Amino acid sequence: MNNFTLGRYLPMNSPIHRLDPRAKIGAMLIALVAIFFPAGWTGYGILFAVVAGVIVLSKLSWGFIWKAMKPMMFMLFFLLVINILVVKTGNVLVMIGTFGIYSDAVMQTLYIAVRLLLMIMITTCLTATTKPLDMTLGIEDLLKPFQKIGVPSHEIAMLISIALRFIPDLIDETERIMKAQESRGVDMKEGKLSERVMAILSLIVPLFVSAFQRAEDLANAMEARGYAPGEPRTRYKVLKMERRDYILLLGSVLLLTCMIWLAYFA
Amino acid sequence: MPITFEHVSHTYSEGTPFQYAALKDVNLDIREGKITAIIGQTGSGKSTLVQHLNALLLPNEGQIHILDRVITAGEKPKKLKSLRGDVGLVFQFPEYQLFEETVLKDVAFGPKNFGVSEEEAVEKAKKALKLVDLPEDCYEKSPLELSGGQKRRTAIAGILAMDPKVLVLDEPTAGLDPAGTKAMMSLFYELNAKYGKTVLMVTHDMENVFTYCDDVVVVEDGSIKVHTDAQEFFRDSALCRSMNILPPALIRMRDMLNEKGFAIPADVQDLDALAAYIAKQVKSHE
Amino acid sequence: MGIIDVKNLNFSYDENTETINNVSFSVEKGTYTTIIGQNGSGKSTIAKLITGLLERKSGSIEIDGLELTLENLNAIRNKIGIVFQNPDNQFIGSTVRDDIAFGLENHQVPQTEMDGIIDANAKRVRMTKYLDQEPTRLSGGQKQRVAIAGVLAMKPEILIFDEATAMLDPQGKDEIKKVIMDLHHETGLTIVSITHDIDEVAASDAVIALNEGQVVMTGTPDEIFAQEDTLRKIQLDIPFSMKLEHKLREKGLKLDRYITMDALLEELCRLHSNM
Repeated sequence: MNNFTLGRYLPMNSPIHRLDPRAKIGAMLIALVAIFFPAGWTGYGILFAVVAGVIVLSKLSWGFIWKAMKPMMFMLFFLLVINILVVKTGNVLVMIGTFGIYSDAVMQTLYIAVRLLLMIMITTCLTATTKPLDMTLGIEDLLKPFQKIGVPSHEIAMLISIALRFIPDLIDETERIMKAQESRGVDMKEGKLSERVMAILSLIVPLFVSAFQRAEDLANAMEARGYAPGEPRTRYKVLKMERRDYILLLGSVLLLTCMIWLAYFA
Repeated sequence: MPITFEHVSHTYSEGTPFQYAALKDVNLDIREGKITAIIGQTGSGKSTLVQHLNALLLPNEGQIHILDRVITAGEKPKKLKSLRGDVGLVFQFPEYQLFEETVLKDVAFGPKNFGVSEEEAVEKAKKALKLVDLPEDCYEKSPLELSGGQKRRTAIAGILAMDPKVLVLDEPTAGLDPAGTKAMMSLFYELNAKYGKTVLMVTHDMENVFTYCDDVVVVEDGSIKVHTDAQEFFRDSALCRSMNILPPALIRMRDMLNEKGFAIPADVQDLDALAAYIAKQVKSHE
Repeated sequence: MGIIDVKNLNFSYDENTETINNVSFSVEKGTYTTIIGQNGSGKSTIAKLITGLLERKSGSIEIDGLELTLENLNAIRNKIGIVFQNPDNQFIGSTVRDDIAFGLENHQVPQTEMDGIIDANAKRVRMTKYLDQEPTRLSGGQKQRVAIAGVLAMKPEILIFDEATAMLDPQGKDEIKKVIMDLHHETGLTIVSITHDIDEVAASDAVIALNEGQVVMTGTPDEIFAQEDTLRKIQLDIPFSMKLEHKLREKGLKLDRYITMDALLEELCRLHSNM
């Protein structure tokens, strides 16, 4: 769990942490759309500056952001190589014998790279500054208007929050079962293919059995406490939009408008 | 050969902010061929201690001698896999580890992992299932069809089938009813008395400790607080109570009677002896 | 008429076995009733049938005069709070606070009233300090206390404990037993506890003994423990004091039945000093 940077929440106290999750999710979605307009280098410069500003405000370290981007670096390099081999338009940058590296190959890769990196920066910033549970509440509220067309917003949120609540327990259980099977001579790391298959089965079957039992117990407990999906219920946690949340949303809309203008009207 | 812990320490998540010293300089000699109870509050380090016995956990410091092996901190233990077969570790609520299609296959799983042939593994499985008193008509059933008590017995058979010389049990009677508890404890007693297996039992049940165990090891805050003969341990109940352990009913009765003027000897062994002392003292006043 | 009236109840999990076979019993309002029986005797099944978590095959279940039907399910569930055995598998919220709030949300309690109710019930089970803790940081006993608070928050009239201490260590068991006893003495709640703990049984007002899906005995603890042959047949335990008293009778002392150690002690002291 310690190496899992993408998607992890970092508890800190920054202005960004304190924003309403709905505003943050909304701003993120708007920003993600903004990225895909061909706003030129000026546009991407502005985008990058804004996102960098938000990251600085959120007190996240650049090392943390870099860790989130690292997995993509290899893919981008691979993409660069492919583009160099395939794209033969634009000006010649370098000649290696008879093989030419063209500017368009580099530019296209760069375009994709910038968009990808901006996406990662924005989403990492969101997940690192928002408690998983607050995120769930935000999603529930944002999906509520879609209830009219049949989206079960509350049930989805309940599913997510219960899953989140049980993740640590499931991890512990996996470890327990692994130890129990290792005590019976199972080697989780080495062995012939058939042995490895049995090793995995000896872990997965008990996990599933236990998960089903857990689900049944939970369902009984929930029902006994009056839970009825689809029935009206009140909610303990309240989300309140403050002025700063509206400012964030307004800012992201402005950003989007700017990108559209730069792309088509500048 | 006794099982020996020499200056053993174990720290979880060493080097991280979550560092936690579960065992601190543990020195312990566990008598071979005896039933030893390992007791202590939740979080005292009991589970960590017993998981060193089959090298599920390795010590950060110190050395462990078990059977003819030596586990030294910082070195990879040799003959690790065979150690797992010689030291059978049964976790709490072991019924959760059942996974095979049939009871027989599940119990045969352990021996098969140690290179035993299919036929021999099934033979060992059947022997183990007889030991735990599971009826033959269960052998071809799926483990999931069994009752809770039967599942537990199947899981224990799975370890017994490996024919371990040392049996380590983590709260084997947790969640069982009185009849189930009695059957389980009698089984371990028999495995020790008849087959000479060294038995270590992590438990909270003082009645069981008093009735079935030879030795008692008390673990507190990562170190060994007390290691003594079981009868000796309960002789002076101030010792028990100082560790927040409720003595068995027999001992409590003895103490209550003595407080009220009776003279029941401290080493009273069982109900019959207690009754005899009481009757004599009541009658002698007539 | 008791607050729980069960008549001729029948239920099976599959066609081959009668899990619950013609069971009838009554629980009086305000009493502390214990239900005992071997594992597999049907105790938990009855608890689930009474709360409508399982559907009975035949027979009648009346809670406070109201017949348990599909229509009254909610009304019945409002009267009963049930605490299950596994401390983890009934903890729904992400924190103690959220878990207690869960029942309130289901009952559509206005949001503005929730904090007050949560605080009051957390106080009752002495978990106020832990209101913002996550379940992974709590002990089994603490989690069960939260379960009790969550159930109490919905103001039931009946509390059912389905082997609520079976998975706890001695400290946890003590915590919960104390909470249950306090509730019995301080509130008018009817308490039904499914248990293996003989001392708990001895301290209760009424006992129902089950074996293989049938009621074999009902009565006060004294009456139940008097029927030792039946107890032995269905493999149930008797209190330590009774075992000692048997031995004493073998040695020639004349004694009545004492189901608690204190009671036996008193009598022995009396005999000792009378001379």
